[in-house]
Amino acid sequence: MKLKLALLLVAIMLITSVMAGCSSGQPAASETTTEGEQSANVEKVTIGAILPLTGGAAATGVKLRAAMEVAQEIINGEYADLANVPLAKEAGLPNLGNAKLEIIFADHQGNPEMAKSEAERLIEQGVVGLVGAYQSSATKPASQSAEQYGIPFVAGSSSSAALTERGLNYFVRIAPNDDIETAMFFDYLIHLNEKYNAGIKTVAVAYIDNEFGVHAKEMVEKWVKEKYGALGFELVGVVPYAVDVTNVDTEVQQIKSLNADAIFHASYIADITMFVNKYKEFNVNPKAVLNYCGGFQDTQFVINLGNDGDYFAGGAAFSADKLADMPELAVINEMYKAKTGADLDGPALEEFASVMVLAEAINIAGSLDGDAIMDVIKKTEFKAPYFATGAIKFDSKGQNEILASYVVQTQNKEYRAVYPVDIATVEPVVPIPEWSKR
Amino acid sequence: MIIEQIIANGILMGFIYALVSVGLSLTWGVMDIINFAHGEFLMLSMYTAFWMFSILAVDPLIALPVCTLLIFILGVLTYFGIIRRVINAPGLTALLATFGLSMFLKNLAQFLWTPNFRYINNSIVSGKTIEIGNIVIGMPQIVAAAASIIMTVAIMIFIDKTRTGKAIQATALNKNTAQLMGINTKKIYAITFGISGACVGVAGALMSTFFPIYPAAGALYSVLAFVSVALGGFGNIKGALFGGLIIGLAEALGGYMFGTQFKYAIVFLIYLIVIQVRPKGLFGW
Repeated sequence: MKLKLALLLVAIMLITSVMAGCSSGQPAASETTTEGEQSANVEKVTIGAILPLTGGAAATGVKLRAAMEVAQEIINGEYADLANVPLAKEAGLPNLGNAKLEIIFADHQGNPEMAKSEAERLIEQGVVGLVGAYQSSATKPASQSAEQYGIPFVAGSSSSAALTERGLNYFVRIAPNDDIETAMFFDYLIHLNEKYNAGIKTVAVAYIDNEFGVHAKEMVEKWVKEKYGALGFELVGVVPYAVDVTNVDTEVQQIKSLNADAIFHASYIADITMFVNKYKEFNVNPKAVLNYCGGFQDTQFVINLGNDGDYFAGGAAFSADKLADMPELAVINEMYKAKTGADLDGPALEEFASVMVLAEAINIAGSLDGDAIMDVIKKTEFKAPYFATGAIKFDSKGQNEILASYVVQTQNKEYRAVYPVDIATVEPVVPIPEWSKR
Repeated sequence: MIIEQIIANGILMGFIYALVSVGLSLTWGVMDIINFAHGEFLMLSMYTAFWMFSILAVDPLIALPVCTLLIFILGVLTYFGIIRRVINAPGLTALLATFGLSMFLKNLAQFLWTPNFRYINNSIVSGKTIEIGNIVIGMPQIVAAAASIIMTVAIMIFIDKTRTGKAIQATALNKNTAQLMGINTKKIYAITFGISGACVGVAGALMSTFFPIYPAAGALYSVLAFVSVALGGFGNIKGALFGGLIIGLAEALGGYMFGTQFKYAIVFLIYLIVIQVRPKGLFGW
């Protein structure tokens, strides 16, 4: 009996561990608008947002939801101080009779299967577009479903390069993909070597074993082979780790044994925090650590780690030190802060942008038809004064070709822009001081 | 050098898994009642330690008795509120009831405290390490390992040497006969659940000094704790300790040799092999 129970138990535990949380999105759907409805005067326009609102990535998911809600407030309200932000001055969507934007949130719990079924549920409920889903592994099946139904999907922060390599007609992505980000990281290392004589030659990759991490690792391999290997960089090893890892002791030992000058991390917030703690415990001292869009960019990183989190770097679309030069971003940040108690971060700003872009496209199209909206998305250069680069424009594959992010480094518990030089607000600290000398 | 460090890490992680498993071995291994909310009890203990540290500046090691008492009470309440009502129900009713409790507690934690990952970085033991030759061992892990051994021995003595412990064994062997012998089985069940909770309360307080604290924090430890009890052997408290150690070593060495992304797969593979050879676990009755 106990053996049967043991087997049953393990099976149930494995299944339910991915179902952790069990709360789902709001069931309510807009009955005012339906797919294909062409009316220029509708009461509200409904879009769907699929996020990890429970489970391991819930901490990030709820923040991304807050960023999307800020976008919704700006679109539905009247904000004179955001005059340069599209749809902010006038309430609602002007070309659709000032229809209000409604967002139905759905929870995929970090589970790709759930992301797919939630996307289909939202589409059946009549949403005219989708945003989300943060984890690339969830964005992939969800956007595949959107493609089947001809519903535009605007991904904010999902960074796997593979997402825009599938030839989808209804999918675009705002964040730089890990292909672009990898090239930016190597250019940054060249900058560190040339200007600061950092002497960085060897690189290792630590990555979570999912869509996001695996593609990041592949991009490093690709760029070293195609370009940066010839410029003197060598990939000395890769260290994958399981999703939902309880400890990273073995992984950190392997990284330490590689003795790389720079470590590229594709990690979420729980993992990267564990890694930093273990780097300190095992005295791992790389000259630079660069993080793909993920956990490092979550402000909880510096809150949890304090000064131990200093000198880590990564690509981000936001850093608080840019607020003085960007008044619109400062207003948006205050609205976000009122909801979450924390500053924006890169992924949150990108998800904010995803709602703004989708809403603007619906407004310009003046229609709820997926093809009409997608046509606008593909042809328009969207004004985005909340990004340092000021605009969003998608290439033929659906990738935003105007780089939305730059390199930030944590210094004294703050994210500071350090590269490219024209965006930087401070000098980077390189090499990272050894743990014993901090 | 690296292999010695990895073995040391594996043993220390093993003690941590054992720490979570010992309480479970009482309810599941001895009493044959599955508490799916075991991991959530762990999570609540971690949050108790976190809030006592954040609000009252009480170190987790000092907050340990409070965490233990709180989760002991939660264990007793779980018995009276849920288990007692379904214990005689057919099939897997009790299991599913605790599964519901697990979901409820996880969502309640997220509702009350947000899903943010929280850390206690400034406890008495945080950041301290001991170096033995080339091996570096974190102080929080050493404290947790010591607690794991002490707790296992204490529970073993309690079960074998005390009247209540013997009553627990009698109730586990045959509830009806135990009742006929004058044992208040309801009280025994409640005490067992309470002690199981207290064990995981100790584990939560100690683990809060070096693991992230968030609503789903207990889930994976809970899975590994179930495997640890089944691997070590039903009805054997010592088995949970050894089960934990085997898991810790398997994931550390297996991850090192076959790839870190496969370390949990290796743990479950070993579990599957062991139950083929020893269906009641390595030290099972």
